[in-house]
Amino acid sequence: MSSLLANPLATPSQLYRRASSATLPRDVDEAVYFATQCLTQAAGRLLQLPQSVTAQANVLLARSWLGESPMAHEFSDVSAATIYLVSKLGPLPRSPRDVSNVYAYLSSANSALFPSGELPKDDPRAYYQTEADYYAFQQRMLGLEARILQSLSFDTQVSLPHPLAITYLQTLDFLSQPRTTVSLRTIQYLNTALLSPQMLYITHQPNALATAAIYNAARDLGAKMPEHEWWEVFDVDREELGFLVVAMRSVEGWMQKLKEDFPGFGNNMLKRSVVEDELHRRGLQVGNGDNAPRDEEDEVMRMMDSR
Amino acid sequence: MSTKPKSRWARSAEDAEYEARQKKEKEEKRRKKALKLQEEEEKKKALLAATTTSQTAETNDNDDDAASSSSRPSKRRKLTPEPASNSSSATLLRFDVGTWKPSRSVDNYDKLNDIEEGTYGWVARATELATGRVVALKRLKLEAGDPNGLPVTGLREIQILKNCRHRNVVAMEEVVVGNDVSKPDNSIFLVLEFVEHDLKSILQDMPEPFLSSEVKRLLLQLTSGVAYLHQNYILHRDLKTSNLLLSNRGLLKIADFGMARYVGDPRPKLTQLVVTLWYRAPELLLGTRTYDAAVDMWSVGCIMGELITREPLLQGSNEVDQISKVFELCGVPTEDSWPGFRRLPNARSLRLPKQSPLASGSVIRARFPNLTAAGASLLNSLLALDPEKRPSAKEMLEHEYFRQDPKPKPESLFPTFPSKAGQERRRRHEPDAPVRGQAVALGDVDFSGIFQGRDKEERGAGFSLRMV
Repeated sequence: MSSLLANPLATPSQLYRRASSATLPRDVDEAVYFATQCLTQAAGRLLQLPQSVTAQANVLLARSWLGESPMAHEFSDVSAATIYLVSKLGPLPRSPRDVSNVYAYLSSANSALFPSGELPKDDPRAYYQTEADYYAFQQRMLGLEARILQSLSFDTQVSLPHPLAITYLQTLDFLSQPRTTVSLRTIQYLNTALLSPQMLYITHQPNALATAAIYNAARDLGAKMPEHEWWEVFDVDREELGFLVVAMRSVEGWMQKLKEDFPGFGNNMLKRSVVEDELHRRGLQVGNGDNAPRDEEDEVMRMMDSR
Repeated sequence: MSTKPKSRWARSAEDAEYEARQKKEKEEKRRKKALKLQEEEEKKKALLAATTTSQTAETNDNDDDAASSSSRPSKRRKLTPEPASNSSSATLLRFDVGTWKPSRSVDNYDKLNDIEEGTYGWVARATELATGRVVALKRLKLEAGDPNGLPVTGLREIQILKNCRHRNVVAMEEVVVGNDVSKPDNSIFLVLEFVEHDLKSILQDMPEPFLSSEVKRLLLQLTSGVAYLHQNYILHRDLKTSNLLLSNRGLLKIADFGMARYVGDPRPKLTQLVVTLWYRAPELLLGTRTYDAAVDMWSVGCIMGELITREPLLQGSNEVDQISKVFELCGVPTEDSWPGFRRLPNARSLRLPKQSPLASGSVIRARFPNLTAAGASLLNSLLALDPEKRPSAKEMLEHEYFRQDPKPKPESLFPTFPSKAGQERRRRHEPDAPVRGQAVALGDVDFSGIFQGRDKEERGAGFSLRMV
């Protein structure tokens, strides 16, 4: 079963179709993607799910992201449906009620995910859910669960690079670094890559992600790497490694730029209505993406640049 | 060449086609370039007797290209030049598991007839319109308004079948959906390969029992399927003859993974509400929460008995009756025969007869007088009360029983049976797999009378069961 080590990957035509039929300008689309992935991570923490479960939800979210316009459903509902589905299939199922409470809290004024400067004073009224609220949320979430499954033809298997990375580090004798330091750095790169709008987890196999994360960690710590092409031992070629190394390192800079471009970003939960306002501000129509027919050639070039 | 952006996702067919086209064009160019270079080189050679090292390298390069344009399969080139010493680049392992796309609609199939409708869903025979291929469509049973959404058992079944590839495990081709996409209770269908018979119907209808060579072949196929599952950390948890399919070419396939699940290490918490009553292992009946692959091996033992006699081996009417039937056949557990069984939740209050092991031991040998010694020892070990003592599927494949005469009959020599699935619904006279819910506690049960009078009467009669 090679599926234990490998993932299905997006095809170029899938990526192209997604880019060419986008309903949102590219920067907004990426911001929404990033915000939704961050929200999923936060919900995973509050639901006390291990990262192995939450990361799978991130990957499934990325896969389903290719299929449908992000504006079709509220972002937080999609995030909730994915994490609910993944937890249900795993060893630590979470009830719809738990998921509902967590998302209600995260979107409230009390949410610790969006620090507003002063310490949030705990006000349970801010995230209390009435029975009707809960019922509506549950209906939306379960509808999306089925939708997401159908868009993935019910294939929910995700292979994560994290365990591979540790195995690789063992093979490399932890690059003569303290084990915890180099492992932690590697895992941090892998977790950050989950949030990258370049969708690294659906365009690259786990072995390549693991190798690139180790390379980055080694560079950060000034560890000495083997002199020959050690990445080939892990079935990664130089070009792919080079791309992933840069992609993983660029997430932080990209986030900084995002904060500059969207000053309000990260102050509260990103909702569809916020995005619609932003589009109005720019004088763009909401909903269908074919209002401004784009040059196909341009789009391809853009995709090449982004890789 | 060196500036060619490498296609990172060069995996799909259209991509390969595109690449092939590009490669052709490139080779054209390369050939021209090589020709030109050669001319230049000849000129240079005429001028200079000695060649510089860089030119040698280039010539080598061109030779290489010329070779590749003729027959060699495409090889990706490194962007950075490598030292000449290790120019033969390593072959990198590539996994290709394809991509994902939305489920197709069930409208791609045309229903022919119903096959069965059970607790766990509805199965029909259908043809794929595009190809005319006959398949089995199994609809996942969905509870309208289930507060938990799609049933986790169904999702597990899909995931497991997607991952399984073995000739003795039924193959799933795809999952298709009804057209009401937005509704959460939209129908979901598993498209499975169609197999003509199920073993249960065959056993019910056949006038003569299977020959022992046939029993051996069926058991071998079942066991190799089970071994594959266990090797891949899958417990089936509902092995029984009605879940085993048999093709007209004598090929047995394990089906119905509605109870199956992956078990990792450490084991997740498992429900004891698994396996249809008649095939349920004693440790499950006694309420264990930490069972393993041995529960499937118990079911294999029950199936072996059923293949020989055409009758389900242990037909209890409820949990208490089932365990008493088990003890009646396999003997009463003792601390020697099953260390630690007393600590199982339902065993604490059992009252068992205190007799010598001789009088309360296993009667399997007597129940199957025609079985060879090797066969009886295999059945005995499969139906060992202590799960630790049962053989694994892999061990069972090596058993003496399968090497002795009569040898297992080749599949191609199996008799064919009139197909039920083609025409009519299958009948069932057996309990269904357990439904999720509250486990039944046995309560205080007194089995002390179970063997009373065994010495006086032949067998089977004269025991009493008293609920206290």
